[in-house]
Amino acid sequence: MNNDNILAGLDVGHVNTKAMIMRGQEILGYGTVRTGFDVVAAAQTALNHALDNVGISGGELAGIVTTGIFRDMIKVPSLDVTGTEPEYVADAKGALFLNKNSRTVIDVGGNTHKAIRYDQNGNLLDVIQNDKCADGLGIFYTTIAKAVGLSEQEMSELALKSTKDVSIAIQCVLSAEAEAIDLMCQGIDIADVANAISRFIVERVAAMCTYMSLTKEIVVAGGLAKSQAVIRHLPSLIKQDVSVLDLPEYVGAIGAVISYGGGK
Amino acid sequence: MTKKGSNAIIEHFRHTTENTHEYAKSLQGKGQLLAGYMCTHVPEEILYAAGIIPVRILSSHVSQAMTRSYIHETYCSFSHDCAYQGLQHNYDYLDLIVTSSSCLHMSEAFNVWVRFAGFEQKSFLIPYPHIIQTKPAAAFMEESFGEFKQFVEELSKKSITDDDLERAIKVYNHNRRLLKRLWEFLRRDNPPITGPEVATVTLASQVMDKQECNQMLEQLIQRLEAESGKAPPGVRLMVTGGACDDLGIFDLIEHLNYTTNLIFIDSCTAARYFWFEVSEDRPDKLEAIAEGYIGRIPCPAKDNVPGTGEKKRFRFIQQFIEDFKPDGVVFLYQRFCSPQPMDIVALKPILDKLGIPSTELELDTTLPIIQFRTQLEALVEIIKGVTP
Amino acid sequence: MGSTWSLLAPLKGLGEDVHLLGGEPHAASTAGTFPEESREDISAAETAGLGFHSCSYLKLFVGEVVRDKIAITDRTIKEGYPKPDLIWTTHLCSQHSKWYQEVSRRLGGIPMYAIDMIGGGNAEKDPKIVKYACDQIEEGIRWLERVTGRDFSDELFIKAARNEIKVLVLWGNICALNRHAPAPLDERRLIALFPPAMVDRTTDETVRLYEALLKEVRYMVETGQSVVPDQRFRIVYFGIAHTYGHPEIARILRDAGAEIVASVYTFGTCGNFRGFENGKWSWDPLDPAWADELDLSTRRDAISALVKIALGWPTWQGVRSYWALEQMARAMVTEYKADGLLLAPSRSCETDFRNGYIAMQRIFKNQIPTVEYDTDQVDVRKMDLPGSQRKTELFVHLMEAHKKGGA
Repeated sequence: MNNDNILAGLDVGHVNTKAMIMRGQEILGYGTVRTGFDVVAAAQTALNHALDNVGISGGELAGIVTTGIFRDMIKVPSLDVTGTEPEYVADAKGALFLNKNSRTVIDVGGNTHKAIRYDQNGNLLDVIQNDKCADGLGIFYTTIAKAVGLSEQEMSELALKSTKDVSIAIQCVLSAEAEAIDLMCQGIDIADVANAISRFIVERVAAMCTYMSLTKEIVVAGGLAKSQAVIRHLPSLIKQDVSVLDLPEYVGAIGAVISYGGGK
Repeated sequence: MTKKGSNAIIEHFRHTTENTHEYAKSLQGKGQLLAGYMCTHVPEEILYAAGIIPVRILSSHVSQAMTRSYIHETYCSFSHDCAYQGLQHNYDYLDLIVTSSSCLHMSEAFNVWVRFAGFEQKSFLIPYPHIIQTKPAAAFMEESFGEFKQFVEELSKKSITDDDLERAIKVYNHNRRLLKRLWEFLRRDNPPITGPEVATVTLASQVMDKQECNQMLEQLIQRLEAESGKAPPGVRLMVTGGACDDLGIFDLIEHLNYTTNLIFIDSCTAARYFWFEVSEDRPDKLEAIAEGYIGRIPCPAKDNVPGTGEKKRFRFIQQFIEDFKPDGVVFLYQRFCSPQPMDIVALKPILDKLGIPSTELELDTTLPIIQFRTQLEALVEIIKGVTP
Repeated sequence: MGSTWSLLAPLKGLGEDVHLLGGEPHAASTAGTFPEESREDISAAETAGLGFHSCSYLKLFVGEVVRDKIAITDRTIKEGYPKPDLIWTTHLCSQHSKWYQEVSRRLGGIPMYAIDMIGGGNAEKDPKIVKYACDQIEEGIRWLERVTGRDFSDELFIKAARNEIKVLVLWGNICALNRHAPAPLDERRLIALFPPAMVDRTTDETVRLYEALLKEVRYMVETGQSVVPDQRFRIVYFGIAHTYGHPEIARILRDAGAEIVASVYTFGTCGNFRGFENGKWSWDPLDPAWADELDLSTRRDAISALVKIALGWPTWQGVRSYWALEQMARAMVTEYKADGLLLAPSRSCETDFRNGYIAMQRIFKNQIPTVEYDTDQVDVRKMDLPGSQRKTELFVHLMEAHKKGGA
């Protein structure tokens, strides 16, 4: 594909569907919608948003590449998908594109999280994904925020104001939610509860990371990477420095484009 | 030690439970060797006979998720917490960590310490029967204890004589008798000490030098015998279940919106820890210790009488019910514990026949106070026949 | 009735009309044959008070008692749960024999005898453990006589004991042949072929079956045959054979030419190998002739030989010793020339079959492609099938990359 080709990457996740439009190395535009129950509609809508942001029509795309958990479900005539990539492949490519020195990406998504090691060409070296009990961290974060009447952004800002560490039972997201509500009913400062939740989430991720050697530089991607309240705990837990990628939730979509010859 | 009011002594015990590391290090500062133990099936007398102070490993109740990559999610929080403390090097000052093969969750916590927390060279696993009532169990234990004794002798660089063992047996028996006397106060309608306070003292005893503990217990009991009742009689609640070192739940039981008294706790952090004795002045000390430990209230993980499949623990529970007369029973156990719920399904019909209502509370790293309060008050309302 | 991790031969000393209902194989075959019934059984056990996180084999089994129905492998469900005359079992985890305490209680108090085998690494070499188990079995035999009113026949017992030992050795030999390339058998065949050894390994018929099978598989090796000739990747599998989802996982692997050639559960739950020698585990088989030549002149000789062979099972060793499991894994990866290690801890199982597998990731992740997915023996709710399928796809991807010199 030559530099004039405009490619779209679609990362269809459990919670959000992300669309990215690129021409060569240039990011032209992007868009995100909630995935919901109609995966195809979500993919179409996300793509349309991205196209609107760029100011082009779908006909001007040279190809659409999909990734994410539902990548195979959107191979429909209306979308004319060129190809698919597993999310771990796309993540590695996307992370490398955004940070040429990176060699490990930790993706903290809505439902699953993973750590991916790759070489200087973005080829996979190793991957670890969460076990079943640690599913749903991002969804949990959203749920808790709603339970206390906040957006995720507000919850994150509140957690940064915490002055005291509190403990919260963390066998799974279900018990953590019940515990969080219990703590608030006991009068514990909501900022401290928000911080405890944030720490709980990143500890699950960090625990998974201890199975695998993480090669520097380590970068963080995924929707939850945007929460400073969550990510600030990560370096001390994995005992390594990390940096959050720009456009962290779009890493997969970018990687999908790169996998199909984009980014040159 | 100067004479103190009972409250001051109880506070001293409570302070010990809240500062176990500080206390342990103070013992070490006096030149004592310390052995951490993770299960009450460890024959402490053998350690004590060698001049080593056994210190029970208890939870920190700090939530963390790092141990999920060492122990599976669906193991109890007690095992996770104990494992975490090892990984955090909170107990590096110990000279030894020892456990008897017990429930698998605590065995895994022990394994974490050995494999990943630097205790490989200072650890010992005592092979112990997984069914305590088998006929050859005592002989097996005796041999196993013999191997442990040899190990301890090498560690402490001194020989453990029969006299040493006898002295240790007597100290420990004295401790058990004193603790029993303390719990007996709770039979009264208006005891001079509360259930939560007795629970605190019992928990403290598991991390203390028994001689020191005995001196304090003697003083405490002496004071209590002269003191009048502390709290008005209320609904009598008994707890039965697994390891629970979160004293907050016992405080909660006596601070509901109703007058309640916590009158007994059948758990390995309470009565099951000490409700037995080792025969004294027997020629074969290890045999005596083995038989004594077999005579304990069985842990559910080890309780299955060959031939009948009886759960011997239930005999004890029924005796406690008869002696302490609870109005209600609280099943208190760690979430994900496997043997406890298997006992509960069989125990509930017995309580039903005795006309004793019950409720179940699952323990985790922290206590959901509000939720537990609701459940406990519901139990009390059932007992009192409170109508809406 | 009882766990098939028990020694079965003592029961055959009671006569030739003794029929066994083994807990684990029954639960597994019920779940595989009647998935809907199994869900009902598990739900019934939970409604009756058993915990969500309890062993799902246990819950399925107790659930049948609660519902007063039993599934038979002739594909029928019989009304009325059959009352066993006695329960003869063991206690490998903290709730294992409590399973049968519950069954006994619900059926009005069936006499039960649970043998504490202790287990653990090198257990068969520890004289005190061997003596402890043997003494219990001696006592157990006296109990069998009292509770059945029958005289115990040492002749029948010793014959059954020799058969039991022979079958375990034969199965070990069959599994060891998978070290060849291509491995003659795949996991699917192994799972299909080991139940007779689990269900009743004391009969002449079972011995003949495995002797014939060994002969056949040896022939396959000599002639370079395999049930799955296209074996691009050899996989070592540490997981219980789960009824739900296993075929789906196998399909993903099959499409990539990836075959499970060795599995600790299928090999080690009814098979014996040379075991620990100088601190290292060997999956070399034992000579079947050794079983024929064993001196089983007396009851105690037979009991002792049986106890040692059972304690020598990889699973009895690994279930209580993390270091034994680790050594077995290292040896299996090497001896079976594994291209990848697939771990499937069972969410219902509290032994090292869950926990030890977690630690395997830590050991092997930086050596060969290693992926873990959560599963369960028989409880479909505990298996995240889409997630497990994705992880298996990842596993294949990593093996491909490793082959190309990447991962």
